[in-house]
Amino acid sequence: MVGLGAMPGYGIQSMLKEGHKHLSGLDEAVLKNIEACRELSAITRTSLGPNGMNKMVINHLDKLFITNDAATIVNELEVQHPAAKLLVLAARAQQAEIGDGANLTISFAGELLEKAEELIRMGLHPSEIIIGYNKAIIKVLEVLEDLVEKGSENMDVRNKEEVVLRMKSAVASKQFGQEDVLCSLVADACMQVCPKNPANFNVDNVRVAKLVGGGLHNSSVVRGMVLKNDAVGSIKKVEKAKVAVFAGGVDTAATETKGTVLIHSAEQLENYAKTEEAKVEELIKAVADSGAKVIVSGAAVGDMALHFCERYKLMVLKISSKFELRRFCRTTGAIALLKLSQPNADELGYADSVSVEEIGGARVTVVRNEEGGNSVATVLLRGSTDSILDDLERAVDDGVNTYKSMCRDSRIIPGAAATEIELAKRLKEFSLKETGLDQYAISKFAESFELVPRTLSENAGLGAMEIISSLYAEHAGGNARVGIDLEEGACKDVSITKIWDLYVTKSFALKYAADAVCTVLRVDQIIMAKPAGGPRPPQQGAMDED
Amino acid sequence: MSLRVLNPNAEVLNKSAALHMNINAAKGLQDVLRTNLGPKGTIKMLVGGAGDIKLTKDGNTLLKEMQIQNPTAIMIARTAVAQDDTSGDGTTSTVLFIGELMKQSERCIEEGTHPRFLVDGFEVAKRATLEFLEKFKTPVVMGDEPDREMLKMVARTTLRTKLYEGLADQLTDIVLNAVLCVRQKDEPIDLFMVEIMHMRHKFDVDTHLIEGLVLDHGSRHPDMKRRAENCYILTANVSLEYEKSEINAGFFYSNAEQREKMVSAERRQVDERVKKIIELKNKVCSGTDKNFVVINQKGIDPPSLDLLARAGIIALRRAKRRNMERLVLACGGEAINSVDDLTEDCLGWAGLVYEHVLGEEKYTFVENVKNPHSCTILIKGPNDHTIAQIKDAVRDGLRSVKNTVEDEAVVLGAGAFEMAAKKHLMDNVKKTVKGRAQLGVAAFADALLVIPKTLAENSGLDTQDVIVALENEHDRGLVVGLNHHSGEPVDPQMEGIFDNYSVKRQIINSGPIIASQLLLVDEVIRAGRNMRKPT
Repeated sequence: MVGLGAMPGYGIQSMLKEGHKHLSGLDEAVLKNIEACRELSAITRTSLGPNGMNKMVINHLDKLFITNDAATIVNELEVQHPAAKLLVLAARAQQAEIGDGANLTISFAGELLEKAEELIRMGLHPSEIIIGYNKAIIKVLEVLEDLVEKGSENMDVRNKEEVVLRMKSAVASKQFGQEDVLCSLVADACMQVCPKNPANFNVDNVRVAKLVGGGLHNSSVVRGMVLKNDAVGSIKKVEKAKVAVFAGGVDTAATETKGTVLIHSAEQLENYAKTEEAKVEELIKAVADSGAKVIVSGAAVGDMALHFCERYKLMVLKISSKFELRRFCRTTGAIALLKLSQPNADELGYADSVSVEEIGGARVTVVRNEEGGNSVATVLLRGSTDSILDDLERAVDDGVNTYKSMCRDSRIIPGAAATEIELAKRLKEFSLKETGLDQYAISKFAESFELVPRTLSENAGLGAMEIISSLYAEHAGGNARVGIDLEEGACKDVSITKIWDLYVTKSFALKYAADAVCTVLRVDQIIMAKPAGGPRPPQQGAMDED
Repeated sequence: MSLRVLNPNAEVLNKSAALHMNINAAKGLQDVLRTNLGPKGTIKMLVGGAGDIKLTKDGNTLLKEMQIQNPTAIMIARTAVAQDDTSGDGTTSTVLFIGELMKQSERCIEEGTHPRFLVDGFEVAKRATLEFLEKFKTPVVMGDEPDREMLKMVARTTLRTKLYEGLADQLTDIVLNAVLCVRQKDEPIDLFMVEIMHMRHKFDVDTHLIEGLVLDHGSRHPDMKRRAENCYILTANVSLEYEKSEINAGFFYSNAEQREKMVSAERRQVDERVKKIIELKNKVCSGTDKNFVVINQKGIDPPSLDLLARAGIIALRRAKRRNMERLVLACGGEAINSVDDLTEDCLGWAGLVYEHVLGEEKYTFVENVKNPHSCTILIKGPNDHTIAQIKDAVRDGLRSVKNTVEDEAVVLGAGAFEMAAKKHLMDNVKKTVKGRAQLGVAAFADALLVIPKTLAENSGLDTQDVIVALENEHDRGLVVGLNHHSGEPVDPQMEGIFDNYSVKRQIINSGPIIASQLLLVDEVIRAGRNMRKPT
C-alpha cells in the first residue's frame, strides 16, 4: 500500500500494486525484449537443418526429450520472458497450421530482431523499422510466389515419387540419413488413407505405433490399426471376419435408476441367475448369428458375456479410448452400437485379419484391412530406446503434416537455402529503390535471410562465409536454384540434389516470424503483475465427448 | 494536529500536500496513457500474474488490467471506465484531459489562486464548451438508409487508434456491415446480436463477417453429416436425455426379462420426444434434398443422438442461451419449448450448415440465412493476444457506429474540435466572466489542447510548431486538424476523420467534474482499523 505519511512517489511505479514491474522506453523495454528473443533463437538455431544438433530437454515432469524439433524444444522450455513468449507463440501457430517449419520461424525472427537492434543503435525509431519490415515481408511473399517451381502446382498426391520429393527435406531435417526409409513409410501410409478429395486428408488417420526393439529397418506400414493390448478372450486370431462394435460395453443391460432384484425364495434366486444367463446368451447368440466373428467393446466386458463369447467362438477386443474406438469404426466400416443387441448387416464392419502378435516382447493386436475401408493406416516404428522412438515419431508427424499441406497446396520452391539467397538478393535490389529511412530496414531484412545458409553450413561444419559468397555469385549469374549440398560442402543446383521445400511452409513461417517481430518492436512499455504464487491450476481437460 | 488527538493511528495529509498528491497522481496516470493516444500510439504489453500476455493500445483495457492502488488514480480511472461504459471510446482522452486540467490548475495555484475560483471557471467553461459542441457538430441524417460513407469514416477513426492501419481498415467494413445487419427500423440497436467468435487460426487479416451464426461446438455423433445444404433449422429448448426422477425411486424386478423391460420403459418418454422430431423431419424433408438440423439448448444423450443420426438429422446440444435468441433472429422460425405441436412454421432455414474442426475444437457454421438480423464476426489470429486485441477493437468499433446512428451527429476529429473550442473560449467566453474565474476558463481552454499536443508528440512531431500552425489556421477562420503523417494542418472532413459526438460530450462533461472534486480536496485522511496493514 502506498504510505500516506510520506509524499507518495511520482510516476506509475507508485500507483501499482506491490510486486508489479514496469518497464518502458527503448533501453528498458525494446532492447531487453530483443535480447531475450535473441537468446531463444540462439538455442533453436543450432538445431536447424539436417545437420542440426539435438537438444536434451528435461521438463518439469522430469521427462527427457532428445530432439532437434524446435516446436518440442520451445514447448518444453516453458519460456517466461513475455517477449520471447511471443516468438514461442508464433512457432506454435506455425506448428498448428503447417506442422513443420517452427525452427525457421523462431530462428528467422531472432535474426530479424538482432538486425533491428543494430538499426535502433544506429538511431532509427522502432516504428520506422516496423514500416520497413512490413514492406519487406510483402515483397518477400511476392518474390516467393515468383520462385515457385513451374508445373509443381499440379501434382498427383498418389504418386509416391512426387510425394517423397516434397516430403524429403522436411523429414531429413529431423532424421538426417534415415529420410529415405522414413519418407517411403510415411508416403505409403499417407497415400493409403488419402481420400478422394485430397484436400480432406486427415492427419489423424495416419497412426504411429511405437514398439521398443529392433531398428528402423524393421519398421513397416500396416493397413489398418495396431492396438497396444491383447485380446480379452482366448481366441487370438481371426481372418476375414465381420466385426460388431458396441460402444456401451458387452454386459447385461442396466437401468439408469437404481434397480433392486426382488427375491422371495431360494427358488427365485436360482431362477434369477438362470434368466440372467439366458438373456446374455440370447444376446451373444444374436450377435454370432448375424455373422460377426469379432466383438469390440468400448467399455467393460462382463465375465458372463465373455464366457458366452468363447462358447460362440467370438473374438473379443476391448478399446477403452473413445477416439480409438471411433478410428476402429472407420477402419472396419462398422457402426458403433450403444447397447448389446443384434446388429444389422450394415452395422457390421469387416477386417481381413485380426490377430494378436508379439512384437518385441509386447503383445499387440493388429487389425488389417487390405481391401475395403482403407481409412486408417499405421506406421509401426521400431527403435532401440523410447527417446529415439519419440524422435522418430516427431519426424513422421512432420512428414504427415507435410503431406497434408501438399494436398492443399502442392507448390514447391528450391530448398537448401537457394530460396533464401534469392530472396536476399532480390530484396536488396528492392531496398535500393526505396526512398526514406525504411530502406535500411528492408536491406537488413534481406541480410537476415543469410541466417539460413550460414546456419546450415555452420551446423555441417563448413565455412559459412565462403559458401554464402559463392551462393551469391551463382545467383548473380541468374540461376535461382543453386543451394548448398551439405554432403559435399559445395554449391549445387537443387534440381540435381532434389531438395525442395513446400511453398506454404516457407511463406507461413516467414509471415509468422515477421508478425511476431513487428509485435515485439511495437511494444514500448511492459507492465508485469506479480507472478501468482501457489501451485498451477490443473490443466483443463478436453470437453466431454461422446 | 487535531485528528491525531482523536485517532493516533490515522494518517493525514492536509492543505497543499493533499492537493499535490492529487495533482501528481493525475499527472502520473496521464504519463502512462499519453503514448497510447491516436493512430501512432504505441502498444503496451501487460503480463499477468500467471505469465499471460496481453497487448493493448486501448486506454480502457490498460486501466482495467493495471491494478492501480493510488486512491486518486483510482478515481480518475473509474471516470475513464465510466466513459467507456457510456460511449465505448475516449478513455485515453478522458485521462489525458483530467491530467491536463490538474496540471494547468497547479500552475495557477502556485501563483496564489484559490482552487475555488478555478472550479467556478471550469464550470462556466464546461457549459460554454458543451453549447459550442452543439453548434460545432456535423449532423448526420439517419433515414431508412444510413449514410454508409459517414459511418465508415467514424468506425475507421476509432479502429485506427486501436490497431495498425491495414487491419483497422479491413475491420471497418466488417464492423459497419455487422451493425447495419442487426439494425432494425425504429428499434434501438442491440449489439449483443452481433456474436463475436474467435478461432486461433491463420492470420489476423483473415478476420471476417459471417451473415449467420458460428457456434463453438459441433455435433457429438460420428455418423452425423459434417456439411449440409438447404437446411431446416429447429431451434429447441427441450431436454432429450433421460432425467432421473426427483424422488428417490428404485426398480424392483425378479428376472432378467423384467429388467430388460424396465430398461426400455425408462427411455420411452425421451424416445417419444425424439420420434416427434423425426416425424417432422420426415414430413418436411422426405422426397427433397433438404436437410434437417436440430439445435438444442438442453442436452441430448447418446441414445437420442444415435436415433437422430440414423434419421439423418444433424443435432447440436447445449447451445448457449443467447445463441438461441440469435439463431431465431438469423434463421427465422421460433424457439420451441415442447415438441408437442411441431409444424413447419416453427422451423428456420439456412442455406449451409457445416462443421469446422480446429485441433480439438469444433465449430459449426450456420450460413446463407434468409433474412439475417444477427451476424457473427469471426476473429482469427495466430495467438491469443492478437485475438484479444482485435476483440477489444471490434467492440469499440461496433459501439462507435452504434453511437453515430443514435446521436445522428459526428464531430470533426484530429484535434480540430479542441482547437476550435479553445478559440471560442478565449475569444468569446472569457470576456463574459467576471473576476478570477477567468483564470479557470483560461486553464480549461489550455487543457483542451492536450489532445492535439499529444497526437503531435506521439507522431514524433514538434508540439510547439504544430500548435502554432493549427492556431494560425483557426485564427483565419478555417477549421483544421492535425495530419499525423506530415504535421501539417489538414481539413478533417477531407480526410474523413470523425469522432463520436457522445464520446466528446462525455469527456467534456466528466473531466471537469472529477478535476473540480480533486482540486477541492484539502485533507486526505486514512483511518479506520482495516485500512492499515498489520505491522
